Amino acid sequence: MGKTLAEKILSEKSGTEAIPGDIVTVPVDFVFSHDGTMPLAIQQMEKELGTRKVFDPLKVGGICDHASPSPSEQVSNVQIFMRKFARENNMPYFFENGDGICHQIVAEKFSAPGKIIIGGDSHTCTHGALAAFGTGMGSTDVGAIMAYGTTWLRVPESFKFQIDGELPEHVTSKDVFLHIVKEITADGATYMSMEFTGSTVKNMTVDSRLVMSNMAIEAGGKVGLCSSDEKVRQFLAKHGRENEYKELSADKDAVYKDELHIDASKLVPYIAYPHRVDNVKPVTDFAGMELQQVCIGSCTNGRLEDLKVAAEILKGKKVHKDTRLVVYAASRGVMMEAMKAGYIQTLIEAGAAVCPPGCGFCIGRTVALGDGEKVLSTQNRNFKGRMGNNKSEIYLSNVPVAAVSAIYGKVTDPREVL
Amino acid sequence: MALKNIKSKVLRIYPPDTNTDEVISGKYKYDELDLKKLAVHAFESIDPTFYEDSQKVKNPILVAANNFGCGSSREQAPQVILACDVSCIIADSYARIFYRNGFNIGLPLIECKDISKNAKQGDELEVDFDKNVIVNHTTGKSFPFKPIPEFMQQLLEAGGLMPYLKAKNK
Repeated sequence: MGKTLAEKILSEKSGTEAIPGDIVTVPVDFVFSHDGTMPLAIQQMEKELGTRKVFDPLKVGGICDHASPSPSEQVSNVQIFMRKFARENNMPYFFENGDGICHQIVAEKFSAPGKIIIGGDSHTCTHGALAAFGTGMGSTDVGAIMAYGTTWLRVPESFKFQIDGELPEHVTSKDVFLHIVKEITADGATYMSMEFTGSTVKNMTVDSRLVMSNMAIEAGGKVGLCSSDEKVRQFLAKHGRENEYKELSADKDAVYKDELHIDASKLVPYIAYPHRVDNVKPVTDFAGMELQQVCIGSCTNGRLEDLKVAAEILKGKKVHKDTRLVVYAASRGVMMEAMKAGYIQTLIEAGAAVCPPGCGFCIGRTVALGDGEKVLSTQNRNFKGRMGNNKSEIYLSNVPVAAVSAIYGKVTDPREVL
Repeated sequence: MALKNIKSKVLRIYPPDTNTDEVISGKYKYDELDLKKLAVHAFESIDPTFYEDSQKVKNPILVAANNFGCGSSREQAPQVILACDVSCIIADSYARIFYRNGFNIGLPLIECKDISKNAKQGDELEVDFDKNVIVNHTTGKSFPFKPIPEFMQQLLEAGGLMPYLKAKNK
């Protein structure tokens, strides 16, 4: 019987004929955690296993991205705890101080087709865009993997998203996912492998695919997988890892628990409104709503193509006087490229605050909203209090909608004004 | 089967898709490694008296509708619930990472799709692991629950993933 992408990867890694429902043990190719989850993982390892020694220093990463550079003495002390652990284990892969967000760093340096990538962050499903089995776990799992190098996984059933047709102008992969979560709801793919396929996905850049895979968890997905292809090979080559490329796709006769067919040409720019990601309506429903802040960046939409689109829209324009635009590139590498291309200068000239790469605005730890403020953000989650204030409202959109809305100071449909 | 039955009162019933940001806000989790101290902020944004009330009932039970614990991977979410001395959660369904995290730290998570409509705050419930039923002693009604997978039972019996692995790798 044919296999889905998830079944293929888990069969190979576990050395069994992995079928949905099976619990398999697999070696982990890379495990990482950040300043929100790694300290607890180290604590669990030390307290429960009586060791601070990692199984292989080359396969364990630590990243201070959620609150970095540190905004407080408490966070600084937690980060000292992480640095000490990394040093005593001789871990070469420790990132901080503006190096960027864990998922972008791991995509650039470690993810590749067929690998098992485990992260102490729910958006580890991001790595499925490179055909890696990436999934998020909590600190105890991460601690156990850091010590032993293996983990158990329940082989998921798979949900196929067959996406065909050309995306209209100013409609992006972000809108494809918002459409999906609107259709299937926030727990529509719980425990499942979400597998994105079809001509639309084939024509997408890797940057765009990473957006959909990143958001798989917002529908409950365990992993958000795309086949590997020439574009994945080029992505790896760009980061000096072409030798890690291999071709990987689902078998034609693979069995899916569910399927959703999407005609990409019918999609529009969407908004996810407070306080749930599956509260999705067309941008036109919110047109004219005043915004106090617009945020472009995060592990969802902080890549080079996102900053390029934002810079092109904001070139020669100014951010509205009653609105603040905050920009976070997803990694130091993305930031450097965006600087060389002139995007950062354009954004700063337009009035944006461009901050050091990291999670910044998305979790309310280094950038926070005030009471009653409304924000439009390109991030993945709009939960109540997510951006540091229970009395604020978070709206999610793609990059073109965010960029034009920053100019007008209110939610604006790019199809109307560009 | 060696799991001991749980009998206690329902402290709260939470709505569908209650997320981990609501269980424990991201703004606290970077500052504090002592889970007992973090626990005072449990459910703060949606339920400000949760912590205080949790200390008035002996090992209370939490009940929730579907997709409880969706969102972040933060293990601080089940950890603060455990630190409030909650004995178990019974929900219509759980988000995947939260489910895994609960068993990893020794917090029993029971899946019973009828529970959120058939229990009220203050009801006395008994989780019967031999018969896989939840008895609501206040109403006299019983509800079958999805048997806990063998592997997850072993985790609970050991007291969580770390003690389980420690014993296995001896």
